[in-house]
Amino acid sequence: MSHLSLIKTLNFLKEERKHSDEILLESAGLVLTRGTVAEMAGGASSGKTSLMLSLLSKLTRAGEICAVVDTSNSFDPCTAFLAGVELENLLWIKCGGGIEKAFMAADYLVQAKGFGAIWLNLSGISKHELRFVPKTYWYRYRTRIKETPTILLVTAEEPVTGSASQKSFLVSRERTVWSGKGRYKLLKEFHLNLHSRKEFYGEPILTKIEFDYTDV
Amino acid sequence: MSKLYACIISGDAKKDEAVLLSIAREFSFGIEMLEDGVLFDVSGLENLIGNTKQIIRKITRQLEINYVSGNAAVADTPDTAILLARCSGEPDFAADTTDKFLQLRLRDLEIDHDAVNVFSDLGIHTIHDLQQIPREELIKRYGQEFKNVIDIIEQKGRRLLKPNVKESQASWNYQLDFPVDDFEQLIFIVNHGLDKLLAEVAYHALSTEQLDISFGLPKKLEKSYEVKTAFPTLEKTFWLKLINLRISLDPPESEIVAINIVSHFTKPRPTQKGLYAVSRPEPESLLLTVNKLKKLVGEDNVGVAVLRNQRLAEAFTLDAEKIPKGKECINLRSENSLIAFSYFNPPLPAEVYVEDKRLIFIKTPDFNARVEKYSGVWKGNSHWWNTPWETWEWDIEVENKGVYRLRKMDGKWFLAGEYD
Repeated sequence: MSHLSLIKTLNFLKEERKHSDEILLESAGLVLTRGTVAEMAGGASSGKTSLMLSLLSKLTRAGEICAVVDTSNSFDPCTAFLAGVELENLLWIKCGGGIEKAFMAADYLVQAKGFGAIWLNLSGISKHELRFVPKTYWYRYRTRIKETPTILLVTAEEPVTGSASQKSFLVSRERTVWSGKGRYKLLKEFHLNLHSRKEFYGEPILTKIEFDYTDV
Repeated sequence: MSKLYACIISGDAKKDEAVLLSIAREFSFGIEMLEDGVLFDVSGLENLIGNTKQIIRKITRQLEINYVSGNAAVADTPDTAILLARCSGEPDFAADTTDKFLQLRLRDLEIDHDAVNVFSDLGIHTIHDLQQIPREELIKRYGQEFKNVIDIIEQKGRRLLKPNVKESQASWNYQLDFPVDDFEQLIFIVNHGLDKLLAEVAYHALSTEQLDISFGLPKKLEKSYEVKTAFPTLEKTFWLKLINLRISLDPPESEIVAINIVSHFTKPRPTQKGLYAVSRPEPESLLLTVNKLKKLVGEDNVGVAVLRNQRLAEAFTLDAEKIPKGKECINLRSENSLIAFSYFNPPLPAEVYVEDKRLIFIKTPDFNARVEKYSGVWKGNSHWWNTPWETWEWDIEVENKGVYRLRKMDGKWFLAGEYD
């Protein structure tokens, strides 16, 4: 009967099919893997927050519970709502600028298991402060999150996760498009450039994000 | 085995609701509370009590003991039992149930008023009279809907008993013969109470995650405690330990003369485990995590975002009472990424150089740069009915920097946040 051990049991198959391992972000053409750490780093108005919201929108609309660790209370639920995020499925943790609290909170969330995505938003934290974060934190997250359906997303002004992240992108804004002329202009869209730090010889990904003037 | 249903109709069902329920419970577990009484399943009681008349007699006896004025009836279908209880007068134990039913007036049935008048003109007054008319003729004359009435008069009503009594808690109370002031003794008695209480909860095939304990003290004083867990359990030693810790933290001021423990049932949770079930944290784990996070960052800083229907600078709030539900939503939003906004907390003070009503240059503690393009001005504050439009806003693109929201309040400039 030893040959039968090659056949996966029904339970195992069910467990395997419970969540597909990859999350496809169609708008940017990105594929992120569950159970890993993924990072998007970029300066001011680089579009990293928008891409994160797109991903959260996809997951929360499917009924998954996600969490935002808002290190410097910068999260705007109005634009999140417009981006399609189901706020009812999103746990919002305001850390009030406390970087230590943010890392502890992310640790608790990673340990809870079962979250679709945990977004550790480090935007607004100075580079100087981020350099003090021990690298071991990221390896701890990586180990904890393995074999779970959760994806840990990190956004910061510069790359921080090192080799602990499976995907790491440098996001930059190529140009800003305004509609209208003279004084009567409206912000229309950002053209972004995503450069993967893990695939050094890969082509950069070009994408655009639009402004939505719909009233919330 | 044929089914048998009993119905009690009371003159003041609201007032007698509790008594009616307790009487019904003495006979059955399948109970439906009606607007004017109670309907319950008494199938199988023939072996225990006797025939239908004896069951009615026993129910009537219970009504007398509890000083409730009402009619009781027992029949093969819920419809018949309800009709008999509603429409027959004082119980006549000698009369046969079927005979009584046939003598019921047509007005007591749910028949259109005009139809009843027509029947009356034709000399048809009772169910017995109506039964003489061929079924097909009645359906031809009054339509398919009349089938329901015919089913009722033929005692084939399709109505089912819908149990609607839901227990939400179980309690145990004890008046002590002698006041207790010794902790050991108290825990001993509570232990005994928990035994009975948890057995009762288990009897309902439920569990509990909250116990309310109140101790009666002399001079009609009371001391109450609430013990909650993050998960439902019937583990007595675990509860006893928690109660022990809770009471030692804040012991009663004087000796105890009475004990009352209430256990709140945990709502049964439907679980779906299948191929397409999305992943969510276990509710206990989520609750525990949320509480740990609240402890870490503060009670009011963890929750779910709620949008406010107001035109304010920050038209949202965080509801700390809510936790995410994991509800699946089907909405047709575009898959395109939209420009998001990120707040600066606190807003970044700025100096803005304006020339010919144009924004030219901006100085902040972080950067000094030329304003390349901008849109606005937008009046950003609501509450116009009690305050003037005080907040003016612009979207500005700063050279070699980002796109920001610039705000002017009380003559001072700030960067409220960035488009990211």
